[in-house]
Amino acid sequence: MNPWVGFAAVAAVSVMTVVISVFGLRISRTTGDFYVASRTVRPWWNASAIGGEYLSAASFLGVAGLVLVSGVDGLWFPIGYTAGYLMLLLFVAAPMRRSGAYTVPDFAEARLASRPARGATSVLVIVVSWLYIVPQLHGASLTLRIATGLPSWVGAAVVTLVVCISVVAGGMRSITFAQAFQFWLKLTAIAVPVVFALLVLGNTGQPITAGGSVFEQAMNTAEDPSTYRNVSLTFSLLLGTLGLPHVLVRFYTNPDGGSARRTTLIVLALLGLFYLFPTIYGVLGRLYVPQLAASGASDATVLLLPGALVDGAAGTLLSALVIAGAFAAFLSTTSGLLVSSAGVISQDVFDGGVLGFRTGALVSAVIPFALALMTESLGLAGSVGLVFAFTASTIAPLLLLGIWWRGLTDAGAVAGMAAGGTLCGAAVLSAAVLDLPAGPAAELLAQPAAWTVPVAFSVMIIVSRLTPRRKPAAVSAILVRLHMPERSGRSGRSGRSDRSTSSRRNGG
Amino acid sequence: MSDADKPARVRVTAPRSKATVAPARFPVAREVAEHSAVGDVFVRSLMRAQLRLALVVAGGFVLVLLSVPLLLAVFPVLADLSVLTIPVSWLILGALIYPFMCLCAWLFIRNAGRNESRYRDLVDGR
Repeated sequence: MNPWVGFAAVAAVSVMTVVISVFGLRISRTTGDFYVASRTVRPWWNASAIGGEYLSAASFLGVAGLVLVSGVDGLWFPIGYTAGYLMLLLFVAAPMRRSGAYTVPDFAEARLASRPARGATSVLVIVVSWLYIVPQLHGASLTLRIATGLPSWVGAAVVTLVVCISVVAGGMRSITFAQAFQFWLKLTAIAVPVVFALLVLGNTGQPITAGGSVFEQAMNTAEDPSTYRNVSLTFSLLLGTLGLPHVLVRFYTNPDGGSARRTTLIVLALLGLFYLFPTIYGVLGRLYVPQLAASGASDATVLLLPGALVDGAAGTLLSALVIAGAFAAFLSTTSGLLVSSAGVISQDVFDGGVLGFRTGALVSAVIPFALALMTESLGLAGSVGLVFAFTASTIAPLLLLGIWWRGLTDAGAVAGMAAGGTLCGAAVLSAAVLDLPAGPAAELLAQPAAWTVPVAFSVMIIVSRLTPRRKPAAVSAILVRLHMPERSGRSGRSGRSDRSTSSRRNGG
Repeated sequence: MSDADKPARVRVTAPRSKATVAPARFPVAREVAEHSAVGDVFVRSLMRAQLRLALVVAGGFVLVLLSVPLLLAVFPVLADLSVLTIPVSWLILGALIYPFMCLCAWLFIRNAGRNESRYRDLVDGR
């Protein structure tokens, strides 16, 4: 591949991202603008922004790679990624918006009336953001290495730098515009090349599915996953989405609970549309670039397939387009994570002002960058999946029980998050270090969500039951606030959820 | 009702957030309903209705999702069905499951909205 094509694509996306953020800076004036775009973002914009932020390296590159190596079993990943939003809609979206908090720790403190619970949640949010940025940077390294032949660290450095500039300059409002733009860029970048390639294949009479044989299990190069693995993985993706800090922060930018729900419906449709395309890449890749599976570079399927199928200048242009789309994926997810982590650092370490936010953003960019340089990518979809398992075992139980169960106490929440987080982290680390022979023990450690999530829930419930006196006195008032509809369906721009509520004795 | 006999008002926003606090703009009847024993019953029943709805939709979705590999395992004949050489399992898991998710979401939003307007009617005394 001509390295200049890669340079041009990466430079174009980076410059556009920075320009949009600087443009956004002019219209973001208050602290509220900076953090949550003052809650005036409309559902379509917001849904595009959520999609833009959510479709990370794992979605853009990883899904096609998985379909390439494991066939129909690879399809469970995008289903889990999308269905996570269904769960978010059902259990979290509207109450979360009505809670009126900016961040997950804000929610923990408001719901549990406890500073220690806030502290524990803050630490988790920061850890999750950093862990999730690392695979994005790995993806950037891979993309830039393939596109331009530059050493791996350059890709990670470019993403870190661009994201730092746009987050520090613009905050959340400009990020909303940038993210919404990036969703449509990503969709175009992944759809146009594959549609073009399909047309070319159809016209020249080359096989597309080879009479259906591409779908056969015999074409899989990865060993077939066990049922336990599929179940545990789907479970962690379903619940893990609830706990992703950069996803939650987006819901605070809806004007009210009802629009938070409508936004989520649009997100589901956008994600479903998007995931058709990586699947097609994976299927075509099984026929035309099977050598990638053998060389362990299956994550590069999306990047290399257009060039392999379409010759000449058209092929070069299409390759530039997918490279640009992949870069947009790294930039948008990383900046979303950076915003949420910086928001938490700013509020908990500094005084919550704009300067603290910017300092937090710098810190949260530099540390994952160092981690990315020290580690090797293990397959993008896999490493992102582990982050989902971690949030499903920690933040998801806090949100679900906090929203739907009166009995949750701060002691219970902290104990449950500690138990879930420790077990999940220890399982994943020991699976990596011990390198057990394939078998039930190795599976339980490598995909821990199926048992760590129930443990986290149980610990939260049991400890809360043991400490009933720690229930906040105003728990009823807090739950009223989470579940009460805004005054009338569509208005609600005036801060219904921000209003003050009388305190009173705890009724239950 | 004079100011003196009202209980002291305490804000339950996250104290460290910089959320702007708009004054309440609600009818007195509603305000009272929210903070009485009756109001508490209303809110509890709203919560129960919303939770039941969410669990039913989530359960239905997961059931349909799990039935795909299950049916394929029980009736291997289904695995041989295909449309334009694409096997049905790929067609369902790769494409059709997404519109189904949107359908679930749409049903939930419609019914959650209904639960809420029923609650609103109760509280506003209509």
